[in-house]
Amino acid sequence: MKVTGTQRAFFVGAAFLAAAAAYLISGGGAVADFGDKIPRTVGGWTASGKDRTFNRETLYGYMDGGAEVYLAFDLREVWSRKYAGPAGRDMTLDIFDMGSPAEAFGAFSCDREDPDAGIGQESEYGAGLLRFWQGRYFVTITASADDEAAAGAVLELGRAAVKPLGPPGAKPDMVAFLPAEGLRPGRTSYFHGLVNLNNRFFIASDNLLRLDRSTDCVIGEYGARGAEPVTLLLVRYPDAAGARSARQSFLASYLPDARPEGIALTENRKWVSASARDNFLAVVFDAPSGDEAKRLAAAVKFPAK
Amino acid sequence: MNDPLSRRDFLRGTTAAVLGASLAFGQDKAVPKKARVILIRHRDVLDENTKVDPEILQGMLDEAVTRLLDESDPAKAFQRLVKPGETVGIKTNVWSYLPTPPELEAAIKRRVVDAGVAPDKIGLDDHTVRTNPLFIKATSLINVAPLRTHYLAGVCGCIKNYIMFAESQPAYHPDSCADLGSLFKLPQVKGKTRLNVLCVLTPQFYGRGPHNFNRRYVWNYKGLIVSLDPVAVDAVGLRLIMAKRREVLGKAQELPPVPKHIQLADTRHGIGTSDINAIDLIKLGWNENTLV
Repeated sequence: MKVTGTQRAFFVGAAFLAAAAAYLISGGGAVADFGDKIPRTVGGWTASGKDRTFNRETLYGYMDGGAEVYLAFDLREVWSRKYAGPAGRDMTLDIFDMGSPAEAFGAFSCDREDPDAGIGQESEYGAGLLRFWQGRYFVTITASADDEAAAGAVLELGRAAVKPLGPPGAKPDMVAFLPAEGLRPGRTSYFHGLVNLNNRFFIASDNLLRLDRSTDCVIGEYGARGAEPVTLLLVRYPDAAGARSARQSFLASYLPDARPEGIALTENRKWVSASARDNFLAVVFDAPSGDEAKRLAAAVKFPAK
Repeated sequence: MNDPLSRRDFLRGTTAAVLGASLAFGQDKAVPKKARVILIRHRDVLDENTKVDPEILQGMLDEAVTRLLDESDPAKAFQRLVKPGETVGIKTNVWSYLPTPPELEAAIKRRVVDAGVAPDKIGLDDHTVRTNPLFIKATSLINVAPLRTHYLAGVCGCIKNYIMFAESQPAYHPDSCADLGSLFKLPQVKGKTRLNVLCVLTPQFYGRGPHNFNRRYVWNYKGLIVSLDPVAVDAVGLRLIMAKRREVLGKAQELPPVPKHIQLADTRHGIGTSDINAIDLIKLGWNENTLV
């Protein structure tokens, strides 16, 4: 079907209105309002210094090395407050307005390794660092110490911060496309760009899969805990041509020895496959057999057209 | 049987050009001139609360620099680096989670003064080096930074420490910060770096959270890595990070993604030596769990 300029303008306008509506109904309000909603005192810890707000342009000045990780998502603003505690300790609360619940889940999902803390929609706490997401917000609380007293303050502040963030939101639709059988819990990540992929699951320094902010990626791990996982990466491109092109790029650089169907046995005696369907690309890494790689890729629950 | 390298391991290793080097480390190789790097450690430089003992740290710096330059006296060694009448900038690092320890800044400054440089002609700065009059006038620079991992560059050491001399920091971010080596060709910097001190008292081998810092991934290594060559100190620092990651996180996470800027600082920008076989690593002091 050929789309006319008027139709394209209509679709773009409708998409914008839908995104704006989703942003408004996800609740929580502007990050600047959190100054009044988040308690200034938690246990023996008290807010210190001025609350600060950073946007996409000023985030570099706040995060050395971490900004790109969040800018690769639809980050809008970050609200930050420091708390001073006993014996010169401090903790920092950062609330990231990620623009949508899907993006908030994405920011949370790319860096998981600690036990659940029971705060917000999903959370984890370990060694002075609490991370959770709620609605369109991703939240971290970082303590300078990791003893029991600091942990108590971090968790108490985290619990107090949830309510002002508004109601829960939905995970990205891509998460539901992963085959459920054998999927390891807590190891699914959602993101868009190469920086997130390489920190989560390094493939190559070059952008072989042609990822950018227009692509949606979900990665899941399969197999029993303790064993080397089979990894499934699913990428949604803006169109089918993008998926085909990325597959060719991946096969040419990463899997030049692939069979015509896009599957090869690699040096670690595991199988890698890449298959495109419509605007999706499914790449399976480290499958124990070619059949297993094919089976996992075929089990992807692609959305109905 | 050893686990075979996966294709991803291979690509990561060749990207950073360190995997092959690490496999060959310690083998003799004929090279015309090696970059000398001093690794010095002291068991007591940090107490049980990680507080720095300034006297021990001064002694470590002195021993490292005298050995680096084959001098018998620290003041004489520093006179080889800076001259009376010069303006000297000490480019430090103030990252709040893991800054250059003030005791190390003070130790360097003390020896620069001992070398004959007037105290009011010594600048100590990080974020405002581009506008700091002492750094604008500086004829010599001393580069001191802590070693840590970095989401984009893989590791942050002496090469990346100069990013504050850049007009635009994000301009150096593409392709895993591949061209950080070009910072050493900026007019304010070119040809001025006299000494590089990579602080590995408490290096960070892995990052978590928005600020890429979590205390559980910092350990008391109690060392300094010192050289005239900024690339060589970072190459040794990367090997240290890799060894610690291999020990704690396992072989699969040995290499942080993706420290290619160290190799490219050598091969593309020619500011130093990244090939571990072309580095003369001299280890001094405490030798328990040295890892490299």
